[in-house]
Amino acid sequence: MTPGEALQAWLALEHEAVWMYPVVGARVDSLVKIARTSFSAHRDTRDALVGRLRSRGTSPVAAALGYDVGPLTSDAEARAAAQSLEARISSAILTLAGVAEGDLRAYAVTALRTSALAEQTWGATQKAFPGLP
Amino acid sequence: MTRRALIGTGAVVLGAGGLLVAGEATGRLDDVAGAVGIDPKPQPDPGDTRILSRAASATAALKATVAATATAHPSLRLAPVTAAVDEQLAALGGATAPAGTTAPGEQDAAVAALVQALDTARMDRARDAVAAGSPALVRVLASMSAGHAQSVRVVRGLR
Repeated sequence: MTPGEALQAWLALEHEAVWMYPVVGARVDSLVKIARTSFSAHRDTRDALVGRLRSRGTSPVAAALGYDVGPLTSDAEARAAAQSLEARISSAILTLAGVAEGDLRAYAVTALRTSALAEQTWGATQKAFPGLP
Repeated sequence: MTRRALIGTGAVVLGAGGLLVAGEATGRLDDVAGAVGIDPKPQPDPGDTRILSRAASATAALKATVAATATAHPSLRLAPVTAAVDEQLAALGGATAPAGTTAPGEQDAAVAALVQALDTARMDRARDAVAAGSPALVRVLASMSAGHAQSVRVVRGLR
């Protein structure tokens, strides 16, 4: 995988997060605040990744019309979906870290910390190696 | 397989949550390689070997700090942090912990000291990840750094 491909894979998941968190906030009252914060963070990351890809002369992958994230009708369902998505984002970022060099690798290492903490925010248990299988 | 036929840069990641990182300095490469059936690769970058050795020593010291804190303050719920650091050290091939590590007697001070130690480890492993050459080692160190960040949050929550 090239760094560009890894960036696109990460961006695809950020699109999913930007789509999913408003749904979480709309369907689960107890999670409105955390969903709003997560949406804002992922929107910023999405925009940053789009900028990085365009600066590399690459067309950013587009968002899907919708995503299969389950019913998201309860606190537990929403938290599980969010944990799953944040874990997939951690994995994608870690893939990027392994293939990138220099500033892009440093960016990925920093972003991995953010995604690992996001996993915890949504209730995931502590891991020794976030992002690794 | 000989020790010269090292795995990438001395780092191996195994699936299903199992993870081993072994370097020439650990002297366990043959066992690790034989156990997992990995393909031999050229000898690792000496810089990566140094990074791996340093990370192992630092993680052993961190483990000693966590253990000292848990011993001095058994009411603190440090089991998840202990488990994470144990797993991280094992993945690095182990190292000898410094003797005589102690924790502050006052609980808040002990928590603050542990947060500081974990945060320092987080920053150091992130720096190592940026400096490492092997993609496998980069991923392990970057992931460890993120794991330390999670530990920092857990310990801060104990205050």
